[in-house]
Amino acid sequence: MNHTPLEDQVHDALHRTADPLERHPFTVGDVRTRARRIQRRRAAVAGAAVAAMVAVAVPIGLSTVGPAQRSEVPPATQPPSPTVTGTVIIDPRSAAVIDSVGVPLVDVDSPSLITPERTIQLPKAYETVTPYRDGWMAVANDEGSYTLEVLDADLELVDQVGPTGGVVVSPDGSRVAWSEYDDVQWRVKIAEVAGGPISTYLEFPPSPREHRVAPIGFVSDVEVAATQNHGDGTTSTFIADGDTPTALPGPISARSASPVAGVVAAFISSDIEGSCSAVIDGTSPSGAVAWETCDYALDHFSPDGQHVVGTVASGGEYGSPTLAVLDATSGEVVVDFELVLPRRQVGGVNETNILWEDDDHLVARVWPGGEDSVIVRLGLDGTVQRLGIESAGESGLTMAEVR
Amino acid sequence: MTATLVDMGAHDRRADKDADFSAYMSARQAALYRTAYLLAGDHATAEDLLQNAFAKLYLSWDKVRDREALDGYVRRIMVNENNSLWRRAWKRKEHSTDTMPETGTVDTYDDGMGGALWSFVQTLPPKQRSVIVLRYYEQLSEAEIADTLGISVGTVKSQASRALAGLRARAPQSLNPHGLHPHESGDDAR
Repeated sequence: MNHTPLEDQVHDALHRTADPLERHPFTVGDVRTRARRIQRRRAAVAGAAVAAMVAVAVPIGLSTVGPAQRSEVPPATQPPSPTVTGTVIIDPRSAAVIDSVGVPLVDVDSPSLITPERTIQLPKAYETVTPYRDGWMAVANDEGSYTLEVLDADLELVDQVGPTGGVVVSPDGSRVAWSEYDDVQWRVKIAEVAGGPISTYLEFPPSPREHRVAPIGFVSDVEVAATQNHGDGTTSTFIADGDTPTALPGPISARSASPVAGVVAAFISSDIEGSCSAVIDGTSPSGAVAWETCDYALDHFSPDGQHVVGTVASGGEYGSPTLAVLDATSGEVVVDFELVLPRRQVGGVNETNILWEDDDHLVARVWPGGEDSVIVRLGLDGTVQRLGIESAGESGLTMAEVR
Repeated sequence: MTATLVDMGAHDRRADKDADFSAYMSARQAALYRTAYLLAGDHATAEDLLQNAFAKLYLSWDKVRDREALDGYVRRIMVNENNSLWRRAWKRKEHSTDTMPETGTVDTYDDGMGGALWSFVQTLPPKQRSVIVLRYYEQLSEAEIADTLGISVGTVKSQASRALAGLRARAPQSLNPHGLHPHESGDDAR
């Protein structure tokens, strides 16, 4: 290389800095231990990623065990949330301890469903479970194969529907939608939670099972958005145009929907430099972009549709180091949370294990360094609380729902 | 008997893998640690970057066909991880101070200019810093840097150019051939 004097001096400076460095080397055992930890984190994140596609909710008034926290559309006179200035630190060690949160959790190793009212033993560690008719609708994970099951009130299997991409519930809790595969094609179906006929809402062209369709959420009281991966690494987001699934301009990969605002939050691009997300009209095939950002990965609309969660895309093995709550209409940051970590330890907020408890509070699973995760409750007023419930094993507590 | 043979085979494969991996790690650990240190700027983060990179390499060891590419694989993991850590630090900027980062080791024959330049290198944005470390410490070609960072050669050139411009702007005049003393060459400053 034809170096300038400055380049030569940079070369020299780097060598003078680095060449004398000495340290105690790692052993293969050290590396194996770290590798096992990475494998456990990958498994946890992979499980949570599937849970993210499986949005379920406990309808108001239909369950004695559900948290009944789903919001109605707020009145126009609802006062705005208090403004928080600066970054709010999430430090589980110093956070106030609470004995319950207003969202259902699954204790994976028990396995059990934990709600504010009681704990129910589950026949298996379902990815998600929601009240349906007189019993439950649940998604089982058998080594990466996801199956929809209908259970009675005693959690006995009534119907094994088959392969699924997940379940979503309408905002008022009256309808449930799910995807299923019949060995030929994927369909998205809708039914009244209280009972009645099941209707086919979206019918996709024949495709391999691996081209999985996942309902993302309701974009109105009766309309659902769904994604389908094409088997080539790309994903499209579909809404109904008459009887036909119509892809929003893309490819885009929706992550969350708001029936109040009629929008979806979606990844619109992703490469080695990072990814960009956008809030997009989910009710029209034009898919008009309301706003976009390359600073955050967007997911999890608040029940009232006013806020959306932003995390650092590809934040690392443990999740995002920060969690921002953004104004869903403008993208402005409302509250910025940051997880504090012990020196020399890594952790993060598990991006997909987040639930809105109500319009003003989030519940999230975080890895605060070390081997164990904790559940925290975050308020738009800047409050941070930690759930004091111990899990039965190292798999920890996960969200039973993703709304 | 069959099960025993299978188990023995798996045990042997694990032992072979560990022996191969150990040989590579022993040979390259010290050098790669220095790169990690230059990327990270402190010992704790450098240790973490390197151990994470080795762990991921260990998990992928059986899939790596080209043993000549191992260093590049480790470097790429470290660079990506470090950029991720940097984003985390950037988010923490409200708590930062105006003081320079730790300047690391300055050996006895350094006249101080090297330490100053190292301090300026640490103020570069992470991608520019990665390019500078890979080019002027590892002495990789632009194409090799592009491959390591997953960016185009043109981007490597532009990042390097911006980094050097930034260093010139921050560096003492004696290091700057375009500074106030046009008669003073960089060689004079050494």
